[in-house]
Amino acid sequence: MMLFLQQWYGELLKLFARRRTYIGFGAFIALELLILLLIKKFGMGPIQKAIVGSGQSFEYYFSALTVASTIMGFGIFLLGALFLSLVAGDIVAKEGEDGHMRLLLARPVSRFRLLLLKYLTCSGYAFFLVQFFAWTSFLLGLVLRGWGGGYFAIVPEVSVVAFYDWWPGLQRYALSSLYLGLSMTAISSIAFFLSCFSIKPAAATIGALTYILVDFIMRNSGFMDDYQHLLVTRHMACWGRILAENIDWPLIWRGYAVVFAVNITLFTLGYAAFESRDLKS
Amino acid sequence: MALLEVRHLTKRWPTGRLALDDVGFEVREGEILGLLGHNGAGKSTIMGITLGMVRPDIGEVRIGGRSVQTNRGAALQQIGAIYEAAVFYDYLSGWQNLRVLCSLSGWWDEAEVKRVVQMVNLNRAIQQKTATYSHGMRQRLALAQALLPQPKILLLDEPTDGLDPEGIREFRELILHLRKHHGMTIMLNSHLLGEVEQMCDRCVILKDGKKVYEGPVPSQEKSRRMFQLDTNDIGLAREVLDRCGATMDKHGIVEVPLNMEPHELVTVLVNGKVQVNAWQAHRRTLEDLYMGLSSKS
Repeated sequence: MMLFLQQWYGELLKLFARRRTYIGFGAFIALELLILLLIKKFGMGPIQKAIVGSGQSFEYYFSALTVASTIMGFGIFLLGALFLSLVAGDIVAKEGEDGHMRLLLARPVSRFRLLLLKYLTCSGYAFFLVQFFAWTSFLLGLVLRGWGGGYFAIVPEVSVVAFYDWWPGLQRYALSSLYLGLSMTAISSIAFFLSCFSIKPAAATIGALTYILVDFIMRNSGFMDDYQHLLVTRHMACWGRILAENIDWPLIWRGYAVVFAVNITLFTLGYAAFESRDLKS
Repeated sequence: MALLEVRHLTKRWPTGRLALDDVGFEVREGEILGLLGHNGAGKSTIMGITLGMVRPDIGEVRIGGRSVQTNRGAALQQIGAIYEAAVFYDYLSGWQNLRVLCSLSGWWDEAEVKRVVQMVNLNRAIQQKTATYSHGMRQRLALAQALLPQPKILLLDEPTDGLDPEGIREFRELILHLRKHHGMTIMLNSHLLGEVEQMCDRCVILKDGKKVYEGPVPSQEKSRRMFQLDTNDIGLAREVLDRCGATMDKHGIVEVPLNMEPHELVTVLVNGKVQVNAWQAHRRTLEDLYMGLSSKS
């Protein structure tokens, strides 16, 4: 186990020593600041209408949590998908292309172990990036609105609208960000899977992004209403159910069972593809 | 004793090109074996199969009695390698690169790493990012990583490619030092004949995926007596030499049979009415051997 952790440390060292890894963090901060400026200048717009329309006090629910949740809602899916695909699409394909893989596999380490380390690294990155976005959004919300107030949670994808006081709201926000982090690992898995083939890293990134966006578009197009269960973004959206007043755990577990099954399947297929490759320039 | 055995390797690429055709040889403990051949002859493919990165269609490689194809992890415990161009993580320091690579071998001994870093003369630059390294420094780092953790066999795939003359010499001395003082067994893949001639005890020559020679490097040969014959009567000379059991190639290089002394052969030639303009000892080079084999169809 110690050896595995040491090897994983090596992968993390490589990931976080690269400037590209931080582009995602930088982009999220830039987005947060932009949305914050827009909120400050133009107000909360539709969120304000939804709160007032529900007969609640906008002043009370216009809090750091509501602001953070709004920022997250705008940015996490599209921007998250982009940067997770970028990192996971690179993780195997780039090392293969650059010749690092030949250096690594000249060691007595199995391809399975090497891929597992890389998979855990990009999944860990997905989870960490979401937490980073969630909590920096919250910090900026605090700067704008200060501590306290209510939490207006709205996730249209799963038809959740709920109102919370500060502490229960903070707990729900924290819990939902953890589950959102788990959901986003599916995007990493798709990019990782493609990265295991003998293709350019950019192709893996674009392939993963394309898949996830097509899935998302199909889900919202109305044409797939009878086949929603086949769309991975539908299961990824389960995190939103954490914000419902009465949490429907079986539905959430079902959604995550699918997400994990997708992850394991993609890892296994990626490994099979990688294992069958001859690594030679 | 053979430390590395290459057995009946055959490999055809998906494009249909035959990369290796029933190639087999062995690397004995303590020797430096050169793997020679033109570009595309199959040298790197053999290296790749030896490291388990390329799958053979037929055959196997055994290291210390363990098959790479069925027990790769155990077999590779004994190997250090520079396979194709050593590409390091430029955004990490030399030290961090070594740390990452050694962790994959499940090994880290700081004192030993420092010793090896010093041996390859990188101690002053080891904390710098490898992006700042020259090609020679990268090759020395490549050698350092191959030497960690203390392999029995070193596989070097064109290790001096791109090095300047000083770098080549330095690298060669380092390799010879490793053999002399650490008893290391080395398989060296190169298309530089001079390099193989100066470093290797034996060599294997590949041509179009086939082994065409396995034996001592000619300059290491003690038993063969070769002479350069300068004559205007090539045809007659060949006839006379044939009768004595001597052979002459198209360049006039005569191999004296074991039952004769060289001066006796000259006498036979003169008595046979061959005009001998000059007769001088010839040291057969690897180039002679290689070109001879290459010219054969």
